[in-house]
Amino acid sequence: MFGFSTYEYDDDGFRECNVTGLSIHESAEDMVKLYGLTAILALAIGGAFAVAVALTRWEAIGLLSAGDFYTYLSVHAWNLLIFWMVFMEIAILYVGGPFVLGRRLSLPRVAKVGWVVMAAGAVLVNAAILFTEYPNQAPLLTSYVPLPSSWQFYLGATVFVLGAIVAAVPFLATIWHHQQENPGKTLPLVTFGAFITSVVALEALLGGVITYVPTLLWRVGYFESLDPAFYRQMYWIIGHGSQQINLLAMITVWYFLTHVVGGAVVASQKVSRAAFVLYLFFINLGAAHHLMSDPVVSAGWRMWNTSYAAYGAVLASMIHAFAIPAGLEVGRRAKGKAGGLFGWLWSSPWDDPGFSATILSIILFGFLGGITGVMMGQMQLNMTWHNTLATVGHFHATVATGTTLAFMGLGYYVLRLVFGRDWSLGPIAKIQPYLYGGAMGLTVLMMMYTGILFGVPRRHPSVMDIPGTAFSFSPAKPFFAVFGVAALLAILGGALFVVVALASLLFGEPFEGAPVGDVQRAAADGGGRAGGEGKAAHAYSMRGTFVLCLVFLGAFVTLWALNWYLLSTIWQIGP
Amino acid sequence: MDSPITAPDGDWWSEKINRRESIWLGISGVWALTLFGWMLGWTEFGAQNQTGETYEVSTEALRQKVQTYKQSAGTLTVDGEELLVPPENDVYVGALQWGWDGLPAVLRPGETYRFHLGSYDVQHGFSVRNADNLSQQISLQVLPGYEWVLEMSFDDPGTYHVVCNEFCGEGHRSMHGKFLVRDYDESAVTAPEEDGSESGGDADYGGWFTGDAAGGATENYDGTTVDETGADQVTVTVGSDGEGGTAAFDPPAVSVSQGTTVTFEWASNNHNLLVDAQPDGADWGGHEPFENEGFSVEHTFETSGVYTYYCEPHLGIGMKGVVEVV
Repeated sequence: MFGFSTYEYDDDGFRECNVTGLSIHESAEDMVKLYGLTAILALAIGGAFAVAVALTRWEAIGLLSAGDFYTYLSVHAWNLLIFWMVFMEIAILYVGGPFVLGRRLSLPRVAKVGWVVMAAGAVLVNAAILFTEYPNQAPLLTSYVPLPSSWQFYLGATVFVLGAIVAAVPFLATIWHHQQENPGKTLPLVTFGAFITSVVALEALLGGVITYVPTLLWRVGYFESLDPAFYRQMYWIIGHGSQQINLLAMITVWYFLTHVVGGAVVASQKVSRAAFVLYLFFINLGAAHHLMSDPVVSAGWRMWNTSYAAYGAVLASMIHAFAIPAGLEVGRRAKGKAGGLFGWLWSSPWDDPGFSATILSIILFGFLGGITGVMMGQMQLNMTWHNTLATVGHFHATVATGTTLAFMGLGYYVLRLVFGRDWSLGPIAKIQPYLYGGAMGLTVLMMMYTGILFGVPRRHPSVMDIPGTAFSFSPAKPFFAVFGVAALLAILGGALFVVVALASLLFGEPFEGAPVGDVQRAAADGGGRAGGEGKAAHAYSMRGTFVLCLVFLGAFVTLWALNWYLLSTIWQIGP
Repeated sequence: MDSPITAPDGDWWSEKINRRESIWLGISGVWALTLFGWMLGWTEFGAQNQTGETYEVSTEALRQKVQTYKQSAGTLTVDGEELLVPPENDVYVGALQWGWDGLPAVLRPGETYRFHLGSYDVQHGFSVRNADNLSQQISLQVLPGYEWVLEMSFDDPGTYHVVCNEFCGEGHRSMHGKFLVRDYDESAVTAPEEDGSESGGDADYGGWFTGDAAGGATENYDGTTVDETGADQVTVTVGSDGEGGTAAFDPPAVSVSQGTTVTFEWASNNHNLLVDAQPDGADWGGHEPFENEGFSVEHTFETSGVYTYYCEPHLGIGMKGVVEVV
């Protein structure tokens, strides 16, 4: 498809990837290209609108008027939080299923239909936002009732959600057929992760149907009104659930790329799979933290759902936080690429953007996104985070930094292993993850500072000049200056990714194949189960990972304590 | 050792787990329990818990409640600004596009108040901070159709600013209110006016200025119509002080002669003019787009009769007016 690829298929439509050893069928590969490139297009659109959004909030520039700001912000949010992510996630499902299992994509026509429906929904949402007319308002991401958005917007959102459900069906059918033919056989870990992702995704998308269909009916006049409390609870099933899809897809990509590029192995099948199962049961309940500072839901309801999140999902994330670096450490120790505590890290292929993007994704997601997510998920702390710019900092740390970096890393390998094109503009490709990750990291830190320390609200085009009052948030000005510069650098970093991707597709040399990174991926694989030959994974030292995780825990506890301290300085609220 | 992209053979479930990984699992479990236990404990021992009763209430009923509260509240003038003094320990705040009804107010330090939070129109965010220490700030969601009652007690005197931090339409950023926390002398408080009923003057225009018509009651209409008959130039200020902010027409009711041109001048932001009713054959279109301070529009009234009009975003707090052409 697209004619960019340099690979040939055999008579059955299969080819063998000489890097991963996977047997890849044309039907699946075509769809990965289609969905992957659509995702990158959404990234480019959303990123372009980010320029205007950042330059407005950096009030030294103050680019847009209030009305335009909300329109641009809505386009930015929908393209990056939803379209870039979900198109990429469908591509990841097709990699994690048919690619890894070495199968055709089942029901390939359904995959095409899914793409058409999703694309139609995405175009409609974008058009509806751009042509919003009073009394309708720009929907932002949340389109909270009863503030009206146009019915075309709700229709577009509904269509997109339905399209995503359709697009997941071929993946599930592939798994189904595989299990029918191989009863009792364990799925590869990456496929297992993709499968759990798809279940969590279906839950979230179903929430989307419950949210957008009634809202559409309200906007066309069938319902007279909708209960805003009902809407909020239903909305957050998809609103946060869609971001949980990102999380699971990203973690699946972490396992995949640390293996392909860095030579990682599975530290423990049982532990990693148990963590995915914890996600399956608990992660979507974590979405309840959006209602922590709401009326209507009782304190008991809020506590109960937060406890779910604390017990289940946080635990699962902390397990992956150990298991993935541990897999890398063991894999590299086994291949003789390690010495001492961190030798396995120092010797890693840091000039490979697939690798550096993945590792930066893990670090930045954990330290900036994960920790802050737990903070705001605690009922009382939520009061100090809710709807401040710090919240925006949190999800830019998770989605815009962590997940986006992981998907960029995957994108680099899709160029090589799916399109068969090596990276054009190699030096730019090498520094791109560092530029993007570093600048985004700084951007989100500034958002968090201004939100928590100065209480700067989100969703405001200006906070230095509030009409009708002398009060303003001007003490936060220096932080906004850093924010503005960092945000522009980050957008530049994102744009460079799109440039490298396009240049590679059009002008890239054919990719010669293995080895990638610095190790033969398969060298130390196989063998080593208890009783078998060789040394088992658990028998290798994981001390480097353990130290890193303790550092992470230290940061976690410190930030947590600081947040509670800040809360304790506030006046008395509640009984 | 297993690759994550191949199916594991054999009995992977029984494989041992690395000792350090087991320790980390234990640490993670203990940490999750700590997080949860601390949160539960804070409801008992902590002073900041956003828990309180919620009541279902129609936006109309809530508006009446806040209205009644304001009528029973005294006022205290500080630095030329009139602040509401809550009669008891209940404080009502109604959020609307784009203002806070019931603010500004003055509260005593150390006293426990019951805040009643609700909305007249769309969702809002009640985001409060101490002006002297911006990191002392909290944010609470406000939903139309619900009244949330939360106790609050302030130890630090000072000015507390309220902004909206839930997107509520184009004027969102202009939504600002405040309350002062300070001691005051009971003798400095102006008692509420006994007569809280509206109109009863020389004209009531079918009850247009009361809460029975669309929107809230118009506070700055005291029952009198300003007589400008015979004048060739008449001006109505749009968005002058009143109605809990800058949401009033001044004068709210004016009578003019046929053929008079009335100029509407904007004195604050985010207002428009929509015509509610006008005499048969009249063609006043109002002015639908939102305009800001400095804008003006004029209309020549040719047909005699009563023209009722309002500002759309502030109808809820009674920003209504009348032009009577005689």
